[in-house]
Amino acid sequence: MPEFVLPEVIDDFLFTYQNLVYSLGIHGLLALSMYVVLAVGQLSLGQAAFMGLGAYASALLTLKLGWSLPAALAGAMLIPAAAALIIGSPTLRLSGVYLALATIGLGEVQRLAFVNSDFTGGALGLSGIPTKAGLVSIYGSLLVALVLLVLVARSKIGRAMEAMREDELAAGALGINLPAYKLGALVASAMLAGLAGGLNAHVSSFISPNDYGFDAAVTILSFALLGGLGSPFAPILGAVILTLLPEVLRSLANYRGLVSGSIIVIAVMFMPRGLLIWRMGRIGVSSRRPS
Amino acid sequence: MLTRRSILAAASVAAIIFSSAASAQTPITIGAIEILTGPNNKYGIAIKNGFDLALEEVNKAGGVLGVPLAIAYEDSAGNKDQALNAARQLIGARKVPLILGPTLSNEMFAVGPVAVERRIPIVGTSTTANGITAIGPYVFRTSLPEADVIPVTLRTAKEKLGVKRVAVMYGHDDAFTKSAYDVMKGAIEKLGLETVATETFGSKDTDFSAQLTKIKALNPDAIVVSALVEAGAGILLAKKQLGIPDSVRVIGGNGLNSPQVPQVAGAAANGTLVGSPWFIDKADEANKSFVARYQAKYNMAPDQFAAQAYDTLFIVAKAITAAGEANPQKIRDALGKVTHQGVMGPFSFTPDRDPADTSGVVVIEMKDGKFQIFK
Amino acid sequence: MLAQQLLNGLVVGSTYALFALGFTLMFGVLGVINLVYGFYLSLGAFIALFATQAGLSIWLALPAAALTTGVIAVVLDGLLLTPLRKAKAPELSSLMVTLGGTLFLYSLANLLFSTDIRRFPVGVVDATAYDIAGMRVSMTQLLIMGAVVVMVSALLFVMRGTRLGLGLRAMAERPDTAELMGVDSASLVRLVSLICGTLAGACGVLIGLNYNAIQPYMGEVMMLKGFAVIILGGLGDIRGALIGGLLIGMLETLTAGYIASTWKDAVGFVVLVLTLWIRPSGLFGRLAAKRA
Repeated sequence: MPEFVLPEVIDDFLFTYQNLVYSLGIHGLLALSMYVVLAVGQLSLGQAAFMGLGAYASALLTLKLGWSLPAALAGAMLIPAAAALIIGSPTLRLSGVYLALATIGLGEVQRLAFVNSDFTGGALGLSGIPTKAGLVSIYGSLLVALVLLVLVARSKIGRAMEAMREDELAAGALGINLPAYKLGALVASAMLAGLAGGLNAHVSSFISPNDYGFDAAVTILSFALLGGLGSPFAPILGAVILTLLPEVLRSLANYRGLVSGSIIVIAVMFMPRGLLIWRMGRIGVSSRRPS
Repeated sequence: MLTRRSILAAASVAAIIFSSAASAQTPITIGAIEILTGPNNKYGIAIKNGFDLALEEVNKAGGVLGVPLAIAYEDSAGNKDQALNAARQLIGARKVPLILGPTLSNEMFAVGPVAVERRIPIVGTSTTANGITAIGPYVFRTSLPEADVIPVTLRTAKEKLGVKRVAVMYGHDDAFTKSAYDVMKGAIEKLGLETVATETFGSKDTDFSAQLTKIKALNPDAIVVSALVEAGAGILLAKKQLGIPDSVRVIGGNGLNSPQVPQVAGAAANGTLVGSPWFIDKADEANKSFVARYQAKYNMAPDQFAAQAYDTLFIVAKAITAAGEANPQKIRDALGKVTHQGVMGPFSFTPDRDPADTSGVVVIEMKDGKFQIFK
Repeated sequence: MLAQQLLNGLVVGSTYALFALGFTLMFGVLGVINLVYGFYLSLGAFIALFATQAGLSIWLALPAAALTTGVIAVVLDGLLLTPLRKAKAPELSSLMVTLGGTLFLYSLANLLFSTDIRRFPVGVVDATAYDIAGMRVSMTQLLIMGAVVVMVSALLFVMRGTRLGLGLRAMAERPDTAELMGVDSASLVRLVSLICGTLAGACGVLIGLNYNAIQPYMGEVMMLKGFAVIILGGLGDIRGALIGGLLIGMLETLTAGYIASTWKDAVGFVVLVLTLWIRPSGLFGRLAAKRA
């Protein structure tokens, strides 16, 4: 027996746009996860992999161990965090391209691991995940993440991060512990992406290893680059625009790659010292290229 | 009496006039979600063509329940999320009593639960993976699952070619090829064949020499392959290049049942055996007339996806007629009882909403770049 | 069987090495991880495909396609990366631009050519396989292995033994100083783009000939292996690309042949992660492991 009955019109409206409303919130979280890494001047192409790890971890915790949603979501944050530590500790000491390449590698190894394991359902993925997440858990998570990031941005840590973006060498000379900040940012970003993955698994009920590939990673990057890094609100705006666009212009869906690609190129080329890149840019200016 | 009868007659005449002047009446609109754009749209387009050809005939014959039948198409572009949005749109906003599609099994796994939640029957015409109809009591499919086709192919190979020892190769990172492999494995065991090696590859791989070198050394009677066109053609080419004799046949799943295979693999494709739920050269009248009309309307030959879609629309139209109104629950109940004699052969649903009759399966063999019925 | 498997590994490894050469050279001299590089491979294959379909002999189509790809690489580099070089933008900006560019170009190719797999017309090269000491080897396989030898020797000669190579090495080490010393960096950048694009294009044609599998995304698949190869070999090192490529190709083949084919594709990435942990500068890297 239903506890309360919505008027049919509203019910139908919610039903029709449910997936879209959920996607907006989840993409918002993913954009924030990308923002956290870019905010310290690093580039991760593993956000989709972290998301997939969170999705699988939480789905398995729910399906095999019967954990509650909050507990499963906690798992969805901790396991990607561990992966971020493994990937980040050797690479973040090196120039920025190493992290980018290593995170691509992570995505591939992980996909193959899911594909090869019967425990994770192999290529068929996991289905029948209870749809326990909803408006409250998704937008609640987004709100909490947003508030925390705003608080951090305004604190001493935030000022240190800004200093790193502006001039990494100077920041290092001022005694900011660069590797610790970078690793902290990567771990936090993996947790956010994992949380998004956990929520995604618990609203879509079906996940498969190929959902979290390179294309997804690039889409997440385009959220953050379109919105910019001025504040935590900017990347969320980018996610909202890029999620709504294909729905508003259905015909655009076919050109999704063209659109995301152009956005990245235009954002980086024509605003190299502008809102988007200037802030995260300065690292690497004086770092010598490896040869 | 007389007046009443003539009124009735006039009404039925009017009904016929109206239904042939299709748009003059509010049609019964069902939904369809197919891949109409993007890289995999050849499947979706073939399916849409099949539906549209059948729709024309249904409406020419008076439509359903005295009104024309119409299809509201939504494009999934092969994207799971977009398929999901499309399903919610069709159910929540367009209020369709039934959905056809979606094209891929993966899309069905995402969309099916939503249809079940809203108790809207959904009929897949090209979803062959395991577990599709297990999604829920409103999910049907008219495409023969691999589980019905592959055993026929393997049994034929065993009986006619004396195949006893086989090597198996499958794409392990793709839901379609993995699911077909699971079926192959079961069928091989059931037939009492010996598996000398099981090798995997990635769906984007181009090099299969390591796996085939190993298989060559084990000297099997045949190689059972679950692959999509790209990898399948690569395997056939590498097999020839490594000098595995032609007498060692490749036995494929539905992934190899494509005219693209000989285009890429050339002469290396000769001898390939696959099972098909439908074959263009099937000699019965219904099939011949379907092929001719399809060719005339679209200026190309139909494929199995078009044939499956063509039959499905008649099955669905029959179910709506039998239901007596465009009510999802009643249509669902009626679907279970429909019988149809179509281009694929005799059709009805099992209690689990899968196709019941496998007598339409044909084993075909590649000869000089064309599939022919294997004798 | 072992001999055949080693040969298989050598062939696969040669394709990786061939691909990684231009990729690593681009990084070594220009200091950019250019993700568009993989697309050049697809482009070369498609140009040669259309040329041979139009009736051109493959021996003309191969160099023509490779050079055309090289010229396109110069144009794309000028459009995407030169503005950033002028603005002295950081290396991650260049990486992101090429990422966006790649996505755009692949999507475009996808819309234009569809993802259907294509092949060179039957008979453009002799497809017979020869039996040599119990091993099966085909014409295209010999061609690929020969191409690796020729290209590696040529590149090493240019880099070590010519004035041009001196300029290139100077630019790789200290771009600003090199310019002060009279190196015309703008034309060197164009030259390197031309060489790398040509290498990628040639590689695409050869791979297309060997596997008969031409489709827009063929470069992207190679790209993922390419990362593993150049990190293992050491970013920017030509010998590294050769040894790294052969090593990974060999490891993959032996894994599939003697361990389990399920893990074949994971080999490259496991090597990549291990290299980063144990020796981030790779086998031959010198300055690569610059500490932040």
